[in-house]
Amino acid sequence: MWVKLAFKLFSREFRRGELTIIFAAIALAVLTVFSLSAMTERIALNIAQKSNAFIAADRRLSSNHAIDAQLLTKASEQGLQTARVLYFDSMLFANDELVLGSVKAGSDTYPLKGKLTIKDSLAGQPYEVDTGPTLGSVWLSEGLFYTLNVKVGDSVELGAGIFKVSKVLVKEPDAPFFSLSGNKRVLLSYDDVPSTKAVQAGSRVFHRFLFAGNEQQLSNYYAWLKPQLKSNQSWEGIKDRQSPLGNNLDRAERFLLLAGLFGIMLAAVAMAVSAKRYCERQYDPVAMMKTLGGSRKVIRNIFLLHLSLVTVFSIVVGLLMGFALQTVGADYLAKFMGAELPHAGIRPWLLSSFIGLVCALMFSLKPLLDLFDIPPLRVLRRNLGDALALSRLHLTLSFMTIFVLMWLFSGEIVTTIILFVSTLLVITVLFVISRLLFAAGRKLGLRPGSSWSLAIATLQKRANANAIQLISFALAIKLMLFLVVLKNDIISDWQMQVPPDAPNMFIININEHEVEPINTFFTDNNIAHEAFYPVFSGRVDAVNGEAFSRQVSKQEDEEKNEENREGVDREPNLTWLASLPEGNEITEGTWFAEGETAGDEIEVSVFDGWRETLGLKLGDTITLLVNEKSIDAKVTSFRSVDWGTLKPNFVMILSPNMAGKVPVTYFSAAKLEDKHTKDISQILQRYPTISMIDIKSQIEQAQSIISQVSLAIGFVLSIVLISGALVLISQVQASLAERMQEVVILRTLGAKGRLIKLATLYEFMLLGAIAGLVAAIVSDIALLVIQQQLFSVEGQLHPYIWLLGPLSGAIFVSAIGYFMVARTMKQNTQGLLRKIA
Amino acid sequence: MSVLSQLNVIRVSGLTKRVSTLEGSLTILSDINFSVKSGESVAIVGASGSGKSTLLSLLAGLDVASQGDVHLDGEALSKLDEEARARVRAEKIGFVFQSFMLVQSLTALENVMLPAELAGDHDARAQAIELLEKVGLSHRLEHYPSQLSGGEQQRVAIARAFIGSPKILFADEPSANLDSKNGHLIENLLFDLNKQNGTTLVLVTHDEQLAKQCQRILHIEGGQLEKISEGVTANVG
Repeated sequence: MWVKLAFKLFSREFRRGELTIIFAAIALAVLTVFSLSAMTERIALNIAQKSNAFIAADRRLSSNHAIDAQLLTKASEQGLQTARVLYFDSMLFANDELVLGSVKAGSDTYPLKGKLTIKDSLAGQPYEVDTGPTLGSVWLSEGLFYTLNVKVGDSVELGAGIFKVSKVLVKEPDAPFFSLSGNKRVLLSYDDVPSTKAVQAGSRVFHRFLFAGNEQQLSNYYAWLKPQLKSNQSWEGIKDRQSPLGNNLDRAERFLLLAGLFGIMLAAVAMAVSAKRYCERQYDPVAMMKTLGGSRKVIRNIFLLHLSLVTVFSIVVGLLMGFALQTVGADYLAKFMGAELPHAGIRPWLLSSFIGLVCALMFSLKPLLDLFDIPPLRVLRRNLGDALALSRLHLTLSFMTIFVLMWLFSGEIVTTIILFVSTLLVITVLFVISRLLFAAGRKLGLRPGSSWSLAIATLQKRANANAIQLISFALAIKLMLFLVVLKNDIISDWQMQVPPDAPNMFIININEHEVEPINTFFTDNNIAHEAFYPVFSGRVDAVNGEAFSRQVSKQEDEEKNEENREGVDREPNLTWLASLPEGNEITEGTWFAEGETAGDEIEVSVFDGWRETLGLKLGDTITLLVNEKSIDAKVTSFRSVDWGTLKPNFVMILSPNMAGKVPVTYFSAAKLEDKHTKDISQILQRYPTISMIDIKSQIEQAQSIISQVSLAIGFVLSIVLISGALVLISQVQASLAERMQEVVILRTLGAKGRLIKLATLYEFMLLGAIAGLVAAIVSDIALLVIQQQLFSVEGQLHPYIWLLGPLSGAIFVSAIGYFMVARTMKQNTQGLLRKIA
Repeated sequence: MSVLSQLNVIRVSGLTKRVSTLEGSLTILSDINFSVKSGESVAIVGASGSGKSTLLSLLAGLDVASQGDVHLDGEALSKLDEEARARVRAEKIGFVFQSFMLVQSLTALENVMLPAELAGDHDARAQAIELLEKVGLSHRLEHYPSQLSGGEQQRVAIARAFIGSPKILFADEPSANLDSKNGHLIENLLFDLNKQNGTTLVLVTHDEQLAKQCQRILHIEGGQLEKISEGVTANVG
């Protein structure tokens, strides 16, 4: 019965453009959510895949004791890929040269993630392979070729076995960041280990099982594994590592999440504005239909069908456009990343459709209910029902919906609350400011008849409507400015972590008497280098005389600290220093005072992360076990450590009076170039115990990931910028009908087109500039908080946005307004009069 | 249904409308009593703010009375809810408004068909075309309201008012928004069609000349029915 009428009305309303804004808003919400979630998922998958190469797997289980092979069998049963790796040191012998090599034996599936880079000869070109050496052969790192004086094809003795040197090992995906192995690395097949006879009972061997699979499989497996983990076993993924990469990935994810939330907020604002406006424009037709005898049920059905049609249509279009956009984006990114991005799953499709549906329902619910309540009497009393326009219920529903959408999208309640509450505050502040501004505007006297005077008069006349418009403009500009600045800050912060002159080689195992000659070598060759840190390893044995293991078991929240405790259980590298290293900050207590630490009492400064795990407070005494010797140290300070730098960092730093109490080696880092290779070999031959760790590959990988993430962030940002622009357009369009009435009156009264156009231009310019200025101020303050709270980046003010905000606001808003009014002006006055009749 | 109610298609008894304002209760209409016979034409006249539009809204069931009742074709409106009143309007009433009140997204023909379609009658096309022909708009069937002049829009509204052959036609200042030439054209059309269809016409106007074309004139002043006079056509009808 009513369906035919409903479809007819729908198609006409659609053609007349009445539904365009509401359609665009839902499509925009869907497009934003789809493209953002699909892109972030694809980028995250890609980054995860690439970064998992850093550990050659998705997860790994490590221990200095043999691990039960059953664990691997179970993992295989659950569909995970597995590999096992063994690390040990063994003597290599060739051409009368004997050297201690650092051996890694990998099963034939090693590496699960990432690739090994090798060369066929010392002079050959490096290339990538998926698996390690075959049985009976070994790959040696370049340094060993020089030390042992061998070439590819020669034989070396490794322990009790004889192996053929088949390749030059250039790069392993999971080369350790800190290691005693230096450049004397050997890779052989796991099955060749028995023939070396190097692994005997009591040998110092490090065991590692590698796992790869999807997140579900991995978490299922971990759920099974967790209860049986031993204290000497640690389970980790790339994000668990306190590495520059882990931190950067975290920040990138937070940024993408934030951008997505902003995109949703903007789309929601557009949706709320357009739904309300659409319903208001239907007041007269509904009153008319009721007058003509249309029942409430029929009217309700007609408009619910309209809503359903526009929702379905816009969701489909949003999905298609989103898909196209993210495909183009992914292709673009793939060109830079040099690899296809992995495909996103079904989640973006479901999430964006659902969000589109929730948007459509929740934002139109109250306006629709209002619409059904429009009394038929409105046909006689034209303003009846207008009072319904803005209700608290509608505002509450809209805000609640935005909150739920943000929560739904992010899955993070804390971030959602921070953003939501801060946005509410912003809106309140903006409302007050805008009212004050417009009230102040009234006092300005301007020459009558000029465009400026007309612009100001219009601004004042619509103070309320303008306040709402100003808030929308400012909110959109704020979110855009916010992301632009945050993007620049994050990226420059990342780039600072890996500056061009960052050291690319760690030099370890330097004996005290070797420090001076190496220092001279660096100076003579103009090689930039870090200080020489004394290094020794030790483990925490007791706190305040109580054995550490018992101390931990007393902790209530054992679960939470489990992973950290595993860290504590290890033997970390420790040092003593007179001054606080760069990137460290004292959070409690005081750094060792000069001269006062000359006594017997040793002081220690502990990394904040270990403070909770060990249950420490200032004044506690930690007993460290160093080379079987117990050393007591009093906790005098706690430090925050920026693990985001590629500089040496220490969980515990002892006071300088430690000097001489334990044997140490020294550690330094330098920026070496290819031309230094020969000199380095000479040094290594002269001081054979010294090891050098090439971290060039780590730096390159970190830099490549940073540039990928920067690109991704740029892409996501541009989507949010488009959303913001559409909000501005929808807001201007929403006020166009009212403006048109005025334009017609002014035109009828003989106002020149130029006067009207200029007045509009100035009005929007003022609105845009005010909105931009307020947005800039508010974003800068919000940035200070968010940068510190969410991104652990030092907050700073950005004076340039104080100019950028008002300028971009004025230009953008006035351009849209001018374009729209200019289009209206093209019609003749008679035509306009009829349109508004 | 009694013979009396058949004769008196509209019966108004003790009709009072009060609204609450900031200064307290305000009486807009007070104790109005009159009847309108089937096929009769009645004008309600009065100055601006006299309460004539309020009276029209109560007669058509667009608003509810504070006291008293309106019987439309035997049905007491005070006993009906909004939905039932809408049904009564759909079955028995046609409207012509000062501001035309056409649905902008529908063509002239579709606007005329709208009441029939809302009532579930989808075969109203032929009748709608016939009505549009009668108002002289057969060449404007597919035009949208914004493409029509004011006079043409009101003619569409008149055609719409007569679709479904309503028993009663309410017209609120039908020519007030038009120039005198178009105004007269509309007025003539309204009376002609009314005569042809035997519809009861209740016309609200402040135009004494127009009112005189009706059989009876109800004079409203200050919310009260001051007097009932006869129009020039009183004895003709």
